[in-house]
Amino acid sequence: MSFRRFLEVARAEFRFQTRRPLFWVLLIVLGLMAWGMSAGHMRISSGDSDVGGKKAFVTSQFALAQMLCVQVMLLYGFFLAVAAGMGIIRDEELKVGEILHSTPLTPGEYVWGKFAGVMGAFGLVLLVDLALRAFFNHVLASAESSEFIGPFAVWNYAWPALVMAVPTLLFFGGVSSLLGAWSRKPILVFALPTLLLLVCLFFVWDWEPSWLPVALDRALMLVDPGGLRWLDHTWLKVDRGVEYYNTQPLGVDLAFGASRLAFAGFGLASVGVAARLVARELRGPAPVRATTPAREREPEHAVPSPGATALADLRMHASPRGLVAGIIEVARAELRELRHQPGLYLFVPLILLQTVSIALVRVGAFDTPLLSTPGTLAVGSMNTLTLLLGLLLLFYTVESLERENARGLASIYYATPVRTAGILFGKALANSLVGVVILAAAWLACWIVLLVQGKVGMQLTPFLLTWGLCLVPTLIAWNSFVALLYALGRNRYTTYALALGVLIFTGWMQTRGHMNWVGNWNLWNALQWSDMGSFELGRNALVLNRLLYLSLAVLCIALAVRVFPRRSVDTARTLQRLRPRALARAALQLAPMLLVPLGLGIWLFTIVEDGFEGGRYEKLGKDYWRKNIATWKDAPKPAIVAAEVDLVLEPARHFLHTKGEYTLLNDTGKALGRFPVTKGPHYRNLRWTLEGVEYTPEDRAGLEIFTPPVPLAPGASLHLGFEFEGNYPEGATKNGGGTGNFVLPSGVVLTSFGSEFVPVVGFVDGVGVDEDNKSDPKVWPRNWYEGVTKSGFGNNLPHTTKVTIHAPAEYTLNSVGTLASDTVENGIRTSVWVSDHPVNFFNVVAGKWDVKRGKGTAIYYHPGHAYNIDEMLECLDGARQHFSEWFYPYPWNELKLSEFPGIANYAQGFPTNITFSESIGFLTESDPKAHAAFMVTAHESAHQWWGNILEPGEGPGADILSEGMAHFSTILLTGEMRGERERIELCKRFEEKYGDGRQVDSEKPMVELDGSRPGDRVVLYEKGGWVAWMMLDLVGRANMLRGCQEFIRRFEKGPDHPVLQDFTQVLREFAPEKEAYDAFVEQWFQQVVVPEYKLENVTRAILPGDGGWEVKFTLRNAGTGSMPVVLCASRGERFPDEQASAEKPPPEPSDSNVVAAAEPKEKAQDEPEPYRASRTRVTLGAGESKEVVLRCTFEPQLVTVDPDALVLQLRRKFALFKF
Amino acid sequence: MLTIRDLVKVYPGPVAALQGIRLDIPQGMFGLLGPNGAGKSTLMRILAGLLEPTSGMAELDGQEITSDPRRVWSKLGYLPQDFGFYPNLTGAQMLEHLLALKGVESPLGKKRLVAELLERVNLASAAERKVKTYSGGMRQRLGIAQAIAGNPRLLIVDEPTAGLDPEERLRFYHLLAELAEGRIVLLSTHIVEDVSVLCPRFAILSEGRLVAETTPVEARALLEGAIFEGSVEKGGLEDLRSRCHVTQSMLSEGRLRVRIWRQDGRVPPGFEPARATLEDAYLVLTHRGRVAREELLLAGAAR
Repeated sequence: MSFRRFLEVARAEFRFQTRRPLFWVLLIVLGLMAWGMSAGHMRISSGDSDVGGKKAFVTSQFALAQMLCVQVMLLYGFFLAVAAGMGIIRDEELKVGEILHSTPLTPGEYVWGKFAGVMGAFGLVLLVDLALRAFFNHVLASAESSEFIGPFAVWNYAWPALVMAVPTLLFFGGVSSLLGAWSRKPILVFALPTLLLLVCLFFVWDWEPSWLPVALDRALMLVDPGGLRWLDHTWLKVDRGVEYYNTQPLGVDLAFGASRLAFAGFGLASVGVAARLVARELRGPAPVRATTPAREREPEHAVPSPGATALADLRMHASPRGLVAGIIEVARAELRELRHQPGLYLFVPLILLQTVSIALVRVGAFDTPLLSTPGTLAVGSMNTLTLLLGLLLLFYTVESLERENARGLASIYYATPVRTAGILFGKALANSLVGVVILAAAWLACWIVLLVQGKVGMQLTPFLLTWGLCLVPTLIAWNSFVALLYALGRNRYTTYALALGVLIFTGWMQTRGHMNWVGNWNLWNALQWSDMGSFELGRNALVLNRLLYLSLAVLCIALAVRVFPRRSVDTARTLQRLRPRALARAALQLAPMLLVPLGLGIWLFTIVEDGFEGGRYEKLGKDYWRKNIATWKDAPKPAIVAAEVDLVLEPARHFLHTKGEYTLLNDTGKALGRFPVTKGPHYRNLRWTLEGVEYTPEDRAGLEIFTPPVPLAPGASLHLGFEFEGNYPEGATKNGGGTGNFVLPSGVVLTSFGSEFVPVVGFVDGVGVDEDNKSDPKVWPRNWYEGVTKSGFGNNLPHTTKVTIHAPAEYTLNSVGTLASDTVENGIRTSVWVSDHPVNFFNVVAGKWDVKRGKGTAIYYHPGHAYNIDEMLECLDGARQHFSEWFYPYPWNELKLSEFPGIANYAQGFPTNITFSESIGFLTESDPKAHAAFMVTAHESAHQWWGNILEPGEGPGADILSEGMAHFSTILLTGEMRGERERIELCKRFEEKYGDGRQVDSEKPMVELDGSRPGDRVVLYEKGGWVAWMMLDLVGRANMLRGCQEFIRRFEKGPDHPVLQDFTQVLREFAPEKEAYDAFVEQWFQQVVVPEYKLENVTRAILPGDGGWEVKFTLRNAGTGSMPVVLCASRGERFPDEQASAEKPPPEPSDSNVVAAAEPKEKAQDEPEPYRASRTRVTLGAGESKEVVLRCTFEPQLVTVDPDALVLQLRRKFALFKF
Repeated sequence: MLTIRDLVKVYPGPVAALQGIRLDIPQGMFGLLGPNGAGKSTLMRILAGLLEPTSGMAELDGQEITSDPRRVWSKLGYLPQDFGFYPNLTGAQMLEHLLALKGVESPLGKKRLVAELLERVNLASAAERKVKTYSGGMRQRLGIAQAIAGNPRLLIVDEPTAGLDPEERLRFYHLLAELAEGRIVLLSTHIVEDVSVLCPRFAILSEGRLVAETTPVEARALLEGAIFEGSVEKGGLEDLRSRCHVTQSMLSEGRLRVRIWRQDGRVPPGFEPARATLEDAYLVLTHRGRVAREELLLAGAAR
């Protein structure tokens, strides 16, 4: 190989690449991203979110590695693939090859030279990218971003680039070169980044079910070309603390290092193969040895037969075809070409695989797997299909438009009378086949998913609605836009660059929250499916959005037809056409097509602005906050002791009319001269009465101030009447998605937490608060909880309710308490609900349901969602029975659970009236091993006790008495009704969720938890539940339950609402060993600890003589905290049955390292090997380790730490050893 | 009649590809000669509606075609100098597709028409083969077939015989001659022989200008008595060029056989009068431009 010739090819290619629009668009995009990221928009989830708290640096090696991973895969990949893959194809189209290869230039020099030129150009891009980052981070850093910027260190930029970016770039460049050389088809070149993007984005980076074996997880890390999975799972998933990330280098283990080298090597090897392919092609096909005499070929220039017809006798004439005939003819020829495009055959199995895998990994509340329905599959695959089809159509459309130029047919083709519109439409029609095939494949994949799932049948309607009416307009608009870009740019690379730029910009707008219905051309994350009603929320906005983009498509097509480069334009004449007069004339001609999208856009903008997520509501909220925060935030307010509401619902038009009255009691201990009440921004025709007399309060931007004629004395009460009507929600959402409360034809959910259907007494915190005016959470004084503590949510005192609801007769109307009457007259149903025991808050939920009743329980559900009803009802019955036994007798008559449309995904445990989104429980995929529907039902049922009967106080940690105790109750109930195996699995799932979600630096002790920090949620739920479970193990089950009963009894009636300190104080009375109890409370409530156990040097050996075995190992606590923990050497399957029947735990081992072998069970015929275990218990403090010896009478297979899931720990998967 | 008035085309650079071309081309064959870069293909592309001129206009049978090329596309048969086809279609499919785009019909039916056209260009045996398997000459013939289809009023052929062997070239001449009856055929070529055989009239372009519009007979007549042929030593060519206009030189047996043009008609030593050819006229005109033509006319008048 001649280095000089190689260098010449590389130099020429480098120069070519650096002059391309693709190169500059990529640089601009990267520059903008570097600038944006220097403001800390993309950071590792670690650190303290408080003002002045320590933040994770965006300049750390970990942060830079994370950013580079994502950018290289999402951005560099596409641009590089086009550049590297098209090099040889381009030379072929330009017919440069014949001349090039008739020189001494060898195929190897040619291919490697091109590769080197492209990699040089993109290497330059990477260097500029890093330099820009450094510049924006360290030179132009603003005061705001200085918290995220660490000290400058070259190696912080260089090392992640070398480890994460360079191998991926070499891989992309090399494989694209090979694809280009082998196939000579541009579509396949583009297939590579598309394929990898989809696979990584929707699978490799995301897929981690709890059952995933460690080995498979590791394998996925090593096959991820971007390296993001490895980075995330090895370093980021379990928070190591901001100090670690900010100061430590990014360690690379041997396996990952080898993986990176392998990717780089694969890329380089691909180039070598490409060179061989080119060489072989230049040599021509191998000569074929003829076995039969070759048929004599008719010479090319034989004299024609004497009878050749004279031209005139052919009587030809030309009459130019109409538009439709032209479209059909162009489409026909295009389809013939498409058949030879391998890309189509590649993407069909890809989309099949992608759709199936997305369906497999969908999770709902508490990470429970979701049942797939046609609607959820149709909407769930929208993003994937939009992205895939958008990219495919971009490539196919551009290559199709470029084909005549590439083949040299353009001069002949464009000089025919076929109309330009015919050419464009014909090609679009043919290319739309790509979309049709992909959609058909996706639909087939959905059908397969449903078949395998075996519970839900296929329906076409959701697909027609979602893909037909929502996705197709996106594709039409996008295609038209791409055609216009090509017509304007007259160049395929310019078109790719601009189109990819638009996609990136759209993605940026979405991630930064700047997108709304007007700009959301691809409906990214905008649609939410409900089997109970299709797109009811924001339907108007959706329709307008689709019409807007269809009309823009028409405009783009008209412009594309006008400027399509069928005829090369003259520069001088183009300048003349850009003169104001000429432009005005052109604009006038296009006016009708401009006016329609303009009008639709303005209309849509108005709807969004006026909607409940729009600018008007934002201003109202801001005004409310600004005017009242200083004066009324903590102002005293009376408590509701009785609420009577008459509610009229017209779901078809989102309308409600409320008339009601509160009986307010002054429980503040001081006279109340004034008190505030918050009204909703959607209230119209609002009227107030005070003691039955019409009253006009002072209106302070939505906070109504009432001044009774005589100040309300302590203990005195008054009656506050109200009447109003309105639409709820008003208008449309900002950018699709859902909302928590609503009045819709498919269902109604309204609560007294907000002002949706009744006013709220007092100032509502959080209204009008955003990132600009958000404050750090309150720092509570020491001993803040002493004395009377107000309620944390809802009313301070339990109160009675009488809720009368009127709605069309087909609706069932549910509220809290007991149904006093239910009548239907003139097509209107009237249901009256009266509280049979006081409540702290109330709700209304309505729907067109079936009902299934249990023992004092009932489930109201959509007729098509009966999949899990039996399991949920069984749980509801069990919860009512067992929680009544364990905690407190259920005071209400009936416990109901009602389903609402899945436009919001949550569940709420209102007294007697639990509400579940359809995606929670009803569409949870329960299976015999993990009864997910049972779990979510148990949690929400537990809130009847923890949150309703006992309402926690206001203050840090108090919410754990609601959510944490609900999780604890779920653990108990699962153990009781599902058996020990499932209980253990549940505990492990909770534990893993805590481990993955916790934030090392910002996690506060449980008694200080206020829910304001990232990572607080897993402490509130998972850790809270676990700590209560560990407490049960510590004090004993009977003591724990008695303690809980006493705790509820003391605080259920108020006015003092309990907090965690009250809980631990009461439970102490029931602890047999006070010292151990105090140490436990100190660790788990007052501090932040979590052990992490590691098994090291594990060996087993046969003991001489008696045939027993000895297992030796070192146990180390790499975490914090000190807990007694059971160690177990075992053999056999502990839970071989599908039925998780309760299994008695083995006898308690002694504290020393003594064998405590369990007696093997009698082995019945055809039964699996019996489970045998030898256990001991040790206590290790933070950082401590201990040598452990376990003796067994059997050959052990497994060593486990904490086999019964009684101690919360990190990375439990690694605390076991298999021989 | 194809009328061209003051056609100018300036590319960014600026490069003046055409500088005010004026031509009236009647029915029949019309040749366009000129060296590389003269502007022939630019003129062809403008007339074919594929390139917008900077200024000027062209009319076909009284209809302006430069501002609205759709008017010419329905009456055009065009064979560009450099072209290709969809590689995966057969010759018959490709031709059928182009016929469909042009709206060409015949009482014989589409399939039969395609077969007949391919027969005319001697591609019948390769009709069902994919175009990507065709040789250069076969592609050229397929191009010819699509150009002549549909009875076009204006047929523009740019270097049509490139890639054709002598026998095919003759066949093509016969075809063109047949076509020239009743339509305008504009033939652009380097091969002066083609023009002398086929074209009753022709024009010569050089550096974007029209330097001559004449007939082959007239062009030869202008040089009659002014062309001389002789041989010189290899080193003597430069000296000869300084004294007179050398139209051709060819190395033969160690000496240069040279043809020269002398306006005064005086025989230089070692030279003999030779019969003027069209090639001589072309070379003189393209090298000397319009000036040469006027000089020729003057010299001819003087003689």
